[in-house]
Amino acid sequence: MTAGAPPYRADVLAIDDTPENLQLLSQLLTERHYKVRSVTKGRTALRAAQAAPPDLILLDINMPEMGGYEVCERLKADDITREIPVIFISALGETLDKVRAFEVGGVDFVTKPFQVEEVMARIETHLQLCRLRQQLQAQNVRLQQEIRDRKRAQETFTKAFRSSPSPIAITTLESGRFLEVNASFLALSGYTRPEVIGFRLDELALGLDMNRYHQGRAQLEQAGVLHNWEFELFTKAGERRTVLLSVENIELEGQPCALAIANDITERKRLENEFISLVSHELKTPMNSMIGALDLLGTGQLGPLTDQGQQMIAMAINNAERLVRLVNDILDLERMKSGTLTLHPQDCCLSDLFKQAVTVMQPMAQEADISLVVEPVAVTLHVDGDRIQQLLTNLLSNAIKFSSPGGTVWLSASLNAPATPPPSSTLYPSTPTLHITVRDQGRGIPPEKLDLVFDRFQQVDASDARAKGGTGLGLSICRQIVQQHQGQIWAARAPEGGSIFHVLLPLTTDMTDVIDEVVHD
Amino acid sequence: MTKCILIVDDEADVREVTKLGLEMSTDWQILTAASGADAIAIATQEHPDAILLDMMMPDMDGRATLKRLKADTTQAIPIILVTAKAHSSNQQDFDSLDVAAVLAKPFRPLKLAAEISRILDWS
Repeated sequence: MTAGAPPYRADVLAIDDTPENLQLLSQLLTERHYKVRSVTKGRTALRAAQAAPPDLILLDINMPEMGGYEVCERLKADDITREIPVIFISALGETLDKVRAFEVGGVDFVTKPFQVEEVMARIETHLQLCRLRQQLQAQNVRLQQEIRDRKRAQETFTKAFRSSPSPIAITTLESGRFLEVNASFLALSGYTRPEVIGFRLDELALGLDMNRYHQGRAQLEQAGVLHNWEFELFTKAGERRTVLLSVENIELEGQPCALAIANDITERKRLENEFISLVSHELKTPMNSMIGALDLLGTGQLGPLTDQGQQMIAMAINNAERLVRLVNDILDLERMKSGTLTLHPQDCCLSDLFKQAVTVMQPMAQEADISLVVEPVAVTLHVDGDRIQQLLTNLLSNAIKFSSPGGTVWLSASLNAPATPPPSSTLYPSTPTLHITVRDQGRGIPPEKLDLVFDRFQQVDASDARAKGGTGLGLSICRQIVQQHQGQIWAARAPEGGSIFHVLLPLTTDMTDVIDEVVHD
Repeated sequence: MTKCILIVDDEADVREVTKLGLEMSTDWQILTAASGADAIAIATQEHPDAILLDMMMPDMDGRATLKRLKADTTQAIPIILVTAKAHSSNQQDFDSLDVAAVLAKPFRPLKLAAEISRILDWS
């Protein structure tokens, strides 16, 4: 028995007009830990049962005023007492009486003189039956509630599925067979329902990259969910659309399925491209005339200039050029962030990439009296060479800027894991990685700024931007490039003093070549 | 023999600065056109040795102008595209075009002549 349960086995109401019988029953039951209420009159019994319904009623048949049958009929006619099991106890043993007893709603019949154990067994049996029935009813109520809840949930899902403005498709996980699609999916793809349902993904000319699809499926199996997965597809009319897919594992009719919700970003991408292209043109065209005019003025061929005049023109050109770099960096960053600047991965030789980066940076290093030391490894990378070039020159230019004359900047690569691991490890640990470092002998980055340097316009010293002619966006761009390549970048303090920038690039990145940008300019 | 260059740009300032820059650093003859249509008319008549063609222009843009120039008697004239959009990131986008080179804006007008000579192998 659980805590808080009554200290008796059951509450029994015994009704008999013979006090001796009642006393005997009461004694027998009390000894066996039942709570017993005894009454001698039918009417009193009805009131007692209504006031506090007992678990079971023992009812004599032959009583003056109101007989046992009538008492039983009345009990059964009342909602409060209807469910209480009634066992008749009587000296009458005829078959006819037993039938009557059952007709009026009794559950059992015991004849006097009774055997104590038999009466107790029957009482226990009926109490047990009654409890089971109550449990069953409660369970039934719960089940019905659950069915209602589920129906409601299903209805909600069906409505959301049907009227969602986002295209939704449910496919089997195993073979990619379409089980269900909504109207938006049909509108996007241009197919009709019969052309889709029952067919496999690769049977429709959607132009999906099946390699990527299988990769995504593996990822889905691991994580159970995929978010904003960019995909290209062709409509039935042959139009190319770009969608962001979010996929979840679900089970439908016993088989594992993928529920894919698409977000058509074709128009957004086009507008972004157009906007960036426009801004790019509108900002650079006037600067073209400005720098050109200053340049021509600076030759002195349009009229003699004083030294100070020459200085002013040099200053104007410097700043105009800085403005151009800033515009270029902002546009690059925006395009990388919006996904409109996509990677064009190719097999690139690392030492070539190093060589090109150093060739570009050598003039700047010479001017600052810095030696560049290059330590490449022979390895082929599948990366966007131009982007990695941009990454390396940005890191080198930073290192040179923050070095003192006579210093050295090292550009190194290694196939071994870095001695000190990155602050947070998000790279697939099983993938072999290339470790690139750019180290300088400058003043180093304060520990509390190590994470911040990759944020936009974050410079260790606010005056740095002006002093060094930087845009404050270089490292943000580096981080974007590395992230696009599914790598990691972080900054640390070199043990010998100065800063060290670490880059980890996966060696077996299989990046999909997303379509070339459309050139509007 | 002195070279003749046609500058095509819808921006008057860009035309003027470019023209002046080239004139100050060479003895080339410089022609200018403010639109794709003008460019085709002048190129057809004057047959310059090279055309500097701006990519983004209203009405007929650089791409359309290029197509027309390459489909006419002017097809042999080398064309250098000038664009405010080119940097290393989208160099590939220009690879398919039938041009001698792509120059990024902003350019330095005084260094332009040397750049053109290098691209077109003029000594």
